[in-house]
Amino acid sequence: MSKREVYIIGYGITKFGEHYELNPSSSASQALSKAIQDAKISKDLIQSLYFGSMVSNRNNQSYIGGKACRECNLNIPITKVDVGNASGAGAFHQAFIAIKSGLLECIAILGTEKLSDFVNSSTLEKILGGTIDYQWEFEQGATLTSLYAWMSQAHMKEFNTTMEQLASVPVKNHKNGVNNPIAQFRREISLKRFLSAKRISPPIGRFDPATHCDGSAAVIIASKEFVENHSEIERKVKVVGSAQSSDKISLHHRETLSSLLATQITSKKAYEMAQISSKDISIAEVHDSYPIGEILAIEDLGFFQKGEGGKATVEGKTQLNSDISINTSGGLKARGDPFGATGIAQIIEIVQQMRREADKRQVDDIKYGLTQNVMGTGASVLVHILSNMEDDK
Amino acid sequence: MEPPKIWRERREKYLALGILCQECKRKSFPITLYCPHCSSENISELKLAQTGKILHFTRVTQTAEELMLYAPYIIGLVELDDGIKVTGQITDTKLEDLTEGMKVRMVFRILSKNGEEGLIGYGFKFVLI
Repeated sequence: MSKREVYIIGYGITKFGEHYELNPSSSASQALSKAIQDAKISKDLIQSLYFGSMVSNRNNQSYIGGKACRECNLNIPITKVDVGNASGAGAFHQAFIAIKSGLLECIAILGTEKLSDFVNSSTLEKILGGTIDYQWEFEQGATLTSLYAWMSQAHMKEFNTTMEQLASVPVKNHKNGVNNPIAQFRREISLKRFLSAKRISPPIGRFDPATHCDGSAAVIIASKEFVENHSEIERKVKVVGSAQSSDKISLHHRETLSSLLATQITSKKAYEMAQISSKDISIAEVHDSYPIGEILAIEDLGFFQKGEGGKATVEGKTQLNSDISINTSGGLKARGDPFGATGIAQIIEIVQQMRREADKRQVDDIKYGLTQNVMGTGASVLVHILSNMEDDK
Repeated sequence: MEPPKIWRERREKYLALGILCQECKRKSFPITLYCPHCSSENISELKLAQTGKILHFTRVTQTAEELMLYAPYIIGLVELDDGIKVTGQITDTKLEDLTEGMKVRMVFRILSKNGEEGLIGYGFKFVLI
């Protein structure tokens, strides 16, 4: 494999939430221009833009990256990467490959979504139907929420995972989200409130799913040579692992519903690339679009034994500055989930933590940080590992 | 749903047909051009078992407009007696009356309707035996 080293040299992110006043392209260009400013380099040095967005084509402008580039006055190649609701991490992975290949030196990556335009929730449900088996799950009547309900049931049955353990995931993430200025929901929600909410798709309750909102996130990545040749770059974070893999899209074709095989395969590839193990990770941003999502993630990424994820969460082992700090940003649950922007926002949280810019949610002594972005029910999973080790600086 | 799609899927959705691989002898659903297990082209159509048991079930309250006809409804993961697993609605019953492992039978029903004048999508659902 190519030995070329890749660094994140700048980031930009908008507040996540409902922004009825903003055009999709204005949201995107805001994140992109903030990232360029943060990198401190001249924008003319950026050679290409990779952007991830799942829903942009439904706003009648599939090429949001093109409009964002016009607003930022860039004439560079623009490529949209589609990995469904994991398109942000998908775009990052492709840009990482482009730098590793040696062909490009400096790339902008943008994730963007404008979901508040869809005032009728049936429209978004149909779009999300495209992330599961549309023909043999969605058209038969299943939805993303109902499939996550089955996965929750399977985990509860196999490992005696309780409702309290599941609810402790969003309770913790809302607590973390209070201290994240860009989070959609900066307030705590009690365990009792989660448990007493109406069950929309049992065992999933009304407050369990992450909300679909507006938001854009961008990063600038560059090769080590580029960073060495540009003294104006003040801060950099090394990317040591980037991997993607897939699993059968329909749950009825999988052997088990209590694990995400794609998370297991992808993280193994990413750990091998980074030459570390799960024990070296101090902080992780994982895909908690439903409570079971985080429990599956922390087990399948190797942080806890299979079946111990719920127990570990209730015992506080995933809280801020505990054994491993999970979703310090508030996760998809409190930050909000603008699909294509989420994967980039996860990476930005790790960068902020490593640059010690996370204020009240700052984690101490970080060695390595990891992000996990999931498409649909795990048909595709991306894992990225960033390093904070001294010898890398 | 578009007419070409409804016509194309008629054998799987209306007759519940899958495939049997003549090489590795494994069954699968839906119909594909190659066996998803061994990639052989030597396949034949297979009528799915008409009865099975419920592995998982839950309620759906919100979905696409054309599928909201009978919402809220119950969606289940069913293991047919021939070992093939399919996703389908469990109908003519209530959520509180269901338990995992219950035996079900395949029935032919309306799945979707595109407004008052739109096309009607048919397919299989399940009822308790």
